Amino acid sequence: MKILVVDDEAIVRESLKAWFEQDGHSVDAAESAKEGLRLCAQGRYDISLVDMKMPGMDGLEMQARLAAADPDLTIILMTAYASVESAVKAMKAGAYDYIVKPFDPDDLSLLIQRAADHRSLRAENARLKKSLEVASAPPPMVGSSGAMKRVLELVATVAATDATVLVTGESGTGKELVARAIHTQSSRRYNPLVVVNCGALPEGVLESELFGHEAGAFTGARARHKGKFEAAEGGTVFLDEIGEVSPRVQVELLRVLEEKVVTRVGSNTPVPVDFRVIAATHRDLPGRVKEGAFREDLFWRLNVFTIEIPPLRERPEDIPLLAEHFLERFTGAMSRRPMRFSPAALEALRRYPWPGNVRELQNAVERAVVLGTGTAVEVGDLPVHVAAAPGSSGPGSLAEAEKAHIRMVLGTSGWNISRAARTLDVDRVTLYNKIRRYELKRPENGS
Amino acid sequence: MGANAPPRPVRALHLVPIGSLPRSQAEDLAARLSRRVSIPCQVLASLPEAAVARLPGRDQLNADALLRDLEARAPDEAVLLGVTPLDVGIPIFTFVFGRARQGGSAAVVSLARLDPGFYGLPPGPERAARRALSEVLHELGHLASLRHCEDASCLMHFAASVAQVDVRGSAFCASCAARLPGWLLGPVGPGRDP
Repeated sequence: MKILVVDDEAIVRESLKAWFEQDGHSVDAAESAKEGLRLCAQGRYDISLVDMKMPGMDGLEMQARLAAADPDLTIILMTAYASVESAVKAMKAGAYDYIVKPFDPDDLSLLIQRAADHRSLRAENARLKKSLEVASAPPPMVGSSGAMKRVLELVATVAATDATVLVTGESGTGKELVARAIHTQSSRRYNPLVVVNCGALPEGVLESELFGHEAGAFTGARARHKGKFEAAEGGTVFLDEIGEVSPRVQVELLRVLEEKVVTRVGSNTPVPVDFRVIAATHRDLPGRVKEGAFREDLFWRLNVFTIEIPPLRERPEDIPLLAEHFLERFTGAMSRRPMRFSPAALEALRRYPWPGNVRELQNAVERAVVLGTGTAVEVGDLPVHVAAAPGSSGPGSLAEAEKAHIRMVLGTSGWNISRAARTLDVDRVTLYNKIRRYELKRPENGS
Repeated sequence: MGANAPPRPVRALHLVPIGSLPRSQAEDLAARLSRRVSIPCQVLASLPEAAVARLPGRDQLNADALLRDLEARAPDEAVLLGVTPLDVGIPIFTFVFGRARQGGSAAVVSLARLDPGFYGLPPGPERAARRALSEVLHELGHLASLRHCEDASCLMHFAASVAQVDVRGSAFCASCAARLPGWLLGPVGPGRDP
């Protein structure tokens, strides 16, 4: 370690220098605070031992200046006059520790060892935080369109606050990605982000998942279980598909959001929790409020700050950028040679309306990388319905074209069979038969 | 103490009893030391306690002043080893077991805190003698330009308490032994107990 000794007494400087050098440390000594500050400005030190009482500038003032210049420096103050007052002053000023002259060799040895361990732990902590940031960073939100730039601006703005956020947008637009971006840019980033898909769980299970339960609260509740709000202590709870929550759970949620306490199922004891909520839905929540399916008070509690993610078809300029981004990611993940899109393939991607949004585009590119054999993604490597999108020059039989067209219409109608049948000018039974024949499947719900 | 100076040639060890150290105890230490080094170890005339500077306000000899005095008296190609039954310290430390400058020509060792009696325990002359040899060899290691070693069982490990003196035993680790001059390797060889 590099140690700086600052003391106006030569005997102290010489003795400590010799003592530390015998331990293999590199030591500089200064006879005044001014000289010590000059040495510090010239090079970095790990530990500095500073005498409290020196002519000119005293140790406390020097300590404050050193700490301001190099926050990583570990400062130990030395004094010949032991008093509680001076010890308190030293520690309040931010010194790592305080030692009284003359030192017991064991005390100084332990102090230096402890300071070295402390520095190493601090450095390790910083390294781990850095790698945690890298590991937990969400995939980048790609987009050059004005709409996406606005979304990114809103994310940065709201991340700096603790406001509740409502993220809206069609399925596959990346609502969870937005939630993760907000969490990782917020001061809560070193605490958990807990994701709950409210639409995937039956009412009773969701209640227990969110708020926890006590042992014996219901059949099968053998042990106490902490809910997601408690699990997210200090962090963020992402409530996906909030529009699907039952009226009873809505009441409970409202109470938790208002009071910041949860009561486990089967318990009467409220538990205070510290969390931030980000909710998301692909539904028209104000419409659900009008229908009486969603509580208005809960809506307003969630709708503090809204971020609406536009569907991909409304920002076609993002398609090539996203497609290239996914292509690079999948070729890397599959250890494939770098690939590029042929102009025809890129044109097909641009023309397709992407009813499943970014998720559908991502799946299409992944499929193309799996199927692709050369260095270019050709139209034939894309899903047939993408390749056969109106205006694209994709090849395919009449049946393939029909399948692709039906898939596209279903997609744009949100798989509303009646509406799709009207668009296609066939009856519902015919459409169902074609869906079965072509093995078309509704894209999974969710953001 | 001091910079990492090159070791000076050493052909003899001169043990100087300081204060009331019994001649027999000095002879015993010299004999034990002779079995660990390959050069003669001879006991010289005692230095009276009154001739040594004390630390103001403390019942201790000033190890740094004593060391300077011995270094000034050390003949060429010899080491002066001052051994005292008195407690020694330096202004910045409450006590030291010994004192030597890296590459220097003299060393000081205090037997006071190596004696079990110092801690209110029954006398243990054999244990005290083993500790004294350990401390002397440690200081001689510094004279041979060695620094403190991280290996807690090595003679060059820093001992801030008598318990640590006991833990570090009486042998240099292989790494330190490899850097010792021939005179300190002794007839027994590196890394072995006498």
